[in-house]
Amino acid sequence: MSGEPILSVRDLVVEFRTEHGTVRAVDRVSFDVFPNETVGLVGESGCGKTVTGLAILGLIPNPPGRIASGSIRLAGRELVGLPEGELRKLRGREMAMIFQEPMTALNPVFTIGSQMIDILRRYKGLSRGQARAAAIELLAKVGIPAPAQRIDEYPHQLSGGMRQRVVIAMALSCDPKLIVADEPTTALDVTTQAQVLEQIVRLQQEFRMAMILVTHDLGVVAETCQRALVMYCGRVAEKADIAPLFAHPRHPYTAGLLQSLPRVGQQAHQDLPVIPGMVPDLLDLPAGCRFAERCARRDARCDRELPELDGEADSPSRVACFHPL
Amino acid sequence: MEVLQYSLRRLASGIPLLLGVTFISFLLMVYFGPDQTYQLLGKNPTAEQIAEIRAQLGYDQPFLVRYADYLREVATLDFGNSNSTGELVTDLLGRTIPVSLMLILPGFVLGNLLALLLALLAAHYRSRWPDKGIMAFSVTGMSISYLIVIIAFQVIFSSSSGLGWFPVRGWNVHSFAEYLEYVTVPTLATVFVALGYNTRFYRSVIVEELNRDHVRTARAFGVPPAKLLYRNVLKNCLIPIITRVVFTIPLIVISGALLVETYFGIPGVGKVTFDAITTGDQPVLKAVVGLTAVLFVLAQLLTDILYRAVDPRVSLS
Amino acid sequence: MTETTTRRQSLWSKAAWKLRRDRFGMLGLAVVAAYFLAAVGVWLGLWATGWGDVAGGKWEAPSAAHWFGTNLIGQDIFQRSIYSISTAFEIGLVVAVLSTLLGAVLGAVAGFFSGRATDELVVWLMGVLDSIPFYLLVAAIAFALEGNPWSMHVAMISTFWITTARLVRGEVIKLKGLEFVEAAHAIGVPEYTIIFRHILPNTFHILLVQSTITFVAAIKSEVILSFLGLGVKDGMSWGLMISESTFEVLAGFFNNFLAASVLMFGLVMAFSIFSDALQDALDPRQVS
Repeated sequence: MSGEPILSVRDLVVEFRTEHGTVRAVDRVSFDVFPNETVGLVGESGCGKTVTGLAILGLIPNPPGRIASGSIRLAGRELVGLPEGELRKLRGREMAMIFQEPMTALNPVFTIGSQMIDILRRYKGLSRGQARAAAIELLAKVGIPAPAQRIDEYPHQLSGGMRQRVVIAMALSCDPKLIVADEPTTALDVTTQAQVLEQIVRLQQEFRMAMILVTHDLGVVAETCQRALVMYCGRVAEKADIAPLFAHPRHPYTAGLLQSLPRVGQQAHQDLPVIPGMVPDLLDLPAGCRFAERCARRDARCDRELPELDGEADSPSRVACFHPL
Repeated sequence: MEVLQYSLRRLASGIPLLLGVTFISFLLMVYFGPDQTYQLLGKNPTAEQIAEIRAQLGYDQPFLVRYADYLREVATLDFGNSNSTGELVTDLLGRTIPVSLMLILPGFVLGNLLALLLALLAAHYRSRWPDKGIMAFSVTGMSISYLIVIIAFQVIFSSSSGLGWFPVRGWNVHSFAEYLEYVTVPTLATVFVALGYNTRFYRSVIVEELNRDHVRTARAFGVPPAKLLYRNVLKNCLIPIITRVVFTIPLIVISGALLVETYFGIPGVGKVTFDAITTGDQPVLKAVVGLTAVLFVLAQLLTDILYRAVDPRVSLS
Repeated sequence: MTETTTRRQSLWSKAAWKLRRDRFGMLGLAVVAAYFLAAVGVWLGLWATGWGDVAGGKWEAPSAAHWFGTNLIGQDIFQRSIYSISTAFEIGLVVAVLSTLLGAVLGAVAGFFSGRATDELVVWLMGVLDSIPFYLLVAAIAFALEGNPWSMHVAMISTFWITTARLVRGEVIKLKGLEFVEAAHAIGVPEYTIIFRHILPNTFHILLVQSTITFVAAIKSEVILSFLGLGVKDGMSWGLMISESTFEVLAGFFNNFLAASVLMFGLVMAFSIFSDALQDALDPRQVS
């Protein structure tokens, strides 16, 4: 990784006020994303990966949520504390987001064309006709057949995979520097998943964008990302390049996740190992390591102290564990 | 062609409602309603005179025969003359319905438009003070009885102890200036009361829509909040709004502004109908009830066609 | 059944907890409770016993003897307005309880047999009654019952049950697909036992909120019906006081009007705020 990072997140803290107290959904998360690379944010649901993605675009619903502290810099520009109006102008143009639910992410009462043309006209100053031509071109690029006809259809007339392609086309429409893809294939059926994922990777390279891929699926990470952050209970457990992460996971949690992946050649009747225990309640976190309860390597120190990421800030591989593998 | 076919099918499926409304209203208002026999007779009537009058009014027929006769009258729009005034019922309605519409429409339109505006404002600033202020106003408005508002507005704007700007009561309209004079106070009262209910309803519809995923998508693509509301969300909200507005129309045409008409002594259809119920003026009642049912079936058809126009997911089948 | 029972209990304890924290809601409840005490006092004959007596002159100004003054024939306006609180509670309670019961039963039966003839009949009836203008229906029922003092109550109940029934029907259609209902079916529990013992208790939160809304609607309708001559026949009510005041206000005498409207506004407002708080507390979806 050379040059300046496109995105630089430092000590990000996101809190939500609930009836039972304040919850820290993201706790001092730091990472960089460089041009033309894909970084995975991996973890179970509720680990803070989606909230991190939303925070970058300034889409944390407020109230009840807010960015309590930390810094998010996009191409050197600080986003935390930026007025909503300024932030809004960056959304869709400098950074875009692809959502998990293609079935509901598009407005049902407007044609896909009008939703795309809207963005193109606002940011690129195109005339209606030019914007329409550009939208058709984008639809063709994301692999929608007969785009000149499809553009006048409504979301409910398209399949889930097609709708997700439309959202991807919208995200690409203004050549953003960064795309946050939140579980882009989770809601699709298996064959469509592979196609859409392949498309995303191809377009990311073609448009030379940086991408953050939020997912619970390590298989998806292995196929698409260069680096990944494994998150647990709002904190980064481990971050590393993909090859070492899969070959030699250092955090017991990463190792557990990897063991629960089915492998080719594994005998069918063999049970997959699962990580014992449950994710702790964010309202009632232990004082020490948050994974300690479920960890085989736990000792007295793990219950007492919260481990921080080891090594230098810019070292390629860091882990937050007192007893790494 | 598709729309025409659909409309015919939909009208046919409105028949049970038509029968239901006419049947229940007929049962209550005509069959169990006031008996006019003795009002129409002189003192010490003979048995023959009584029988004659009862036959004339149709009281001697079995219920089902009378109901069937009535349905025939609805179908042919031939209701005869009012028992009280002798006026042809169709003329009577043709004279009073326009008065009611002129009286109530300004308040109806303003009450909905202003409420929609306030609801958009409240939804835009939701959970913050403009929202709280608007909702507090709305709950207050809902807690004051319509009658109290009418009396208070009359005292404030029309009475000698108040401003005395408008006529106290009546409907003596021959020019637009006179129309404004008589319609203003009832309109203000109607708008005030309607604002409370409508704002609350519209706000909840808009806020529900704002919580949907496609709104988050729009925000993620930088759509400005005001545009998000008036362009994207408003169109999504049109179905409940249309439903509410269209189904109020038959009620306005029929019961008009019964309360306003009674209070201000305005000769609208609400007052005429109400008087017909209290005196048992069957021809008028029959016409009004038939009209109600027909208007509701038409309103249903209209909403379906409008749904189709605003929401592509609704199909006419 | 145990799982739904715990789910229900936690729903109720959570709702009670949320309700207690809602300051406006609790204030509303306190005001309603104060009104209710006033009504109980009237029922027990502790106060406002002289609401019908002619105790002074025409349109007397407020004084120590007559706090809100007297009306046209010299009756004490304060006593009349306090007595009307009990009338309001009588109407509100009777109408709210009976129309909620009717709505619950018809809504549950319709929902349970949704798509079948019973359901279609109930849905048809709701559509028909909704299509007849409210005040005309009330007038028609009042005349059909020939001046019966309960005709106003009957009229209100015959329309107010519809909203409750619609909501209950929708909820029952949702609930009847759940495991505990299918389990009850599987072990041969009779249909009506399933409806009334297993499903209906799970719609209680809807019934509670609806009954508070109906209570308020009944009090407000009474005023207009009494003005139209279709309301309270014996006794005294805010509606009758306000009707009485309609010609007084033009003559510049406001005591009757003010006493009745302010007292009524207080009760309706407090009850509405409490009803909203209740709805918020019981709403599992949390739309803010």
